[in-house]
Amino acid sequence: MVLIGESIHIISKNVNDAVKNRDPKVIQDLARAQSTAGADYIDINLGPAKKDPEEMTKWLVETIQDVTDLPLSVDTLNPVAMEAGLKACKKRPLLNSSSGRTDSKERMLPLAKKYNTDVVISVLTDKGCPPDVDSRTESIMETVTIANDMGIPNEDIWVDPIILPVSADQKQVAEAGEFISILADLLPGVKSTIGLSNVSNGTPEQLRGILNRTYMVMLGRMGLYSAIADVLDEELVAINKGKMPEIVDLIYKTMDGEDIPLSSLDKQKQDYVKTTKVLMGKTLYSHAWLEM
Amino acid sequence: MEYKAPVETYTGKVAEVVIGKGDKAIKIGGESVLPFHFFEGTIQNPPKLALEIWDIDPAGWAEWVREPYKDVLADPVAWAKKCLDYGADLICVRLASTDPAGDNAPADKAAAAVKTVVGSIKAPVIVYGSGDETKDIAVLTKVAEVCSGEKLLLGPVVKENFEPISKAALDHGHSIIAQTPLDINLEKELNVKLLKSFPPDRIVIDPLSSGLGYGMEYSFTIMERTKHIGVMFGDSTMQMPIIADLGGESWKTKQAKENKEQGILWESIAAISLLLAGANVLVLRHPDSCQYMKEAIEGKL
Repeated sequence: MVLIGESIHIISKNVNDAVKNRDPKVIQDLARAQSTAGADYIDINLGPAKKDPEEMTKWLVETIQDVTDLPLSVDTLNPVAMEAGLKACKKRPLLNSSSGRTDSKERMLPLAKKYNTDVVISVLTDKGCPPDVDSRTESIMETVTIANDMGIPNEDIWVDPIILPVSADQKQVAEAGEFISILADLLPGVKSTIGLSNVSNGTPEQLRGILNRTYMVMLGRMGLYSAIADVLDEELVAINKGKMPEIVDLIYKTMDGEDIPLSSLDKQKQDYVKTTKVLMGKTLYSHAWLEM
Repeated sequence: MEYKAPVETYTGKVAEVVIGKGDKAIKIGGESVLPFHFFEGTIQNPPKLALEIWDIDPAGWAEWVREPYKDVLADPVAWAKKCLDYGADLICVRLASTDPAGDNAPADKAAAAVKTVVGSIKAPVIVYGSGDETKDIAVLTKVAEVCSGEKLLLGPVVKENFEPISKAALDHGHSIIAQTPLDINLEKELNVKLLKSFPPDRIVIDPLSSGLGYGMEYSFTIMERTKHIGVMFGDSTMQMPIIADLGGESWKTKQAKENKEQGILWESIAAISLLLAGANVLVLRHPDSCQYMKEAIEGKL
């Protein structure tokens, strides 16, 4: 799976301060660390980028490109910042993201065409996040058609189904796999991506990793092409690189409904089985799901 | 062709909790079908009805709900007996005197009052503290100790205070009420934590019961889902009976305070709704509501 490193995020206080003071150190350290850890792309999440969007984005892109050759995922809701970022990228970037929202279709999608980028298109619409597989399908079909009409081919489109936290909506977490598995039939050639860490948003910090890792494996099996993820999680990268096949196998078996006696497994493996069942919606989530 | 109605069978079973000792004892829960699904199995323990008394005169109660108890409001024992005359299956003593925001009465005084009530009536007793999570530790552990062996149902036990209270309840043979704020994930989390040291057949779930028009549908949904998860999907951490402590929430509404008939209906409609959602025991205030629910449970409504 293609991993997009999520750590350069304006919500992080360190990053926010560094951007405000145009201090390259924190940013470059994060870029280097993620690149060493095994990221395929570096995400630059600028949020709404209200202040000096052009100058700030250009500075950030250049600051990061000074220390890594990886392609960038320019992640902002502000089309002005987006354009400045895409213009400054040396390698073919990922526009992250556009959606079915009117303003996004009008102002973001044309940038993907103009700068010949890959582009994330999420299922969000003017009404918010579609609540089930059918309405997600309806939304993405419509937006991709518009993108195709602009001359953006399916091969350049990375569909984002929008993942919700398991602590908030367990049912939708379980259904996301279904959406990903039908994508190839719906829109041949499209790729897919998710904001992986969102699945564990709201879960106690020390328990987030295993949710992220398990969900990555589950959705990977359904055909997920890439994830915006915490690449500084060594176990996550190791699993992604095929270094923990026994864990992957265990998750697959659990997904297939095999009854694996927990007592035959060590603690780490038990935790992966329990987590898979929670993410499948088979056991009700609680913060204490590993303690049962 | 003859029509045959589909009948489901379920894998899960709600734990049977015993409240009270000897011939006072009653059982709640124990069913392996959904609420009122008589066509799918037996409901061996129909829902039970508690009427609520306080250990101090409840000055703030609406006059319609004070009126049936007007001679006994200052005497918890006489009040409890009156509730039994009105048809309650059990008594819920709320230790309102201990509330730090009110009289802040000491734990041993409140515990002594509970002991007197328990010793004077032929019915099992539920004890609710004031709901102050710190004060309730002192109050409920004292009640547990003073009434050792009486098999009370004690609560609320919340995530901030479950350890000392559940330990006291365990040591002295009582059951506990696990209370969480209208959230099924938190409800499960508390149960998981309790189950590490506490037996499942001595826990009753209180997901909080909101009044009609004030969020009752949230309580309904959570009770309904709790039963689905426990009975249909067999999740052993969610297979405890449910208590709907709804009298107070009903009678504090503007509508209930406006007039007597409306107040009784306000309480009764919340009560029948939560019974249908899966409550195994109701805490009510007005004797007429209690009577209506009795008729409903016996299939007369």
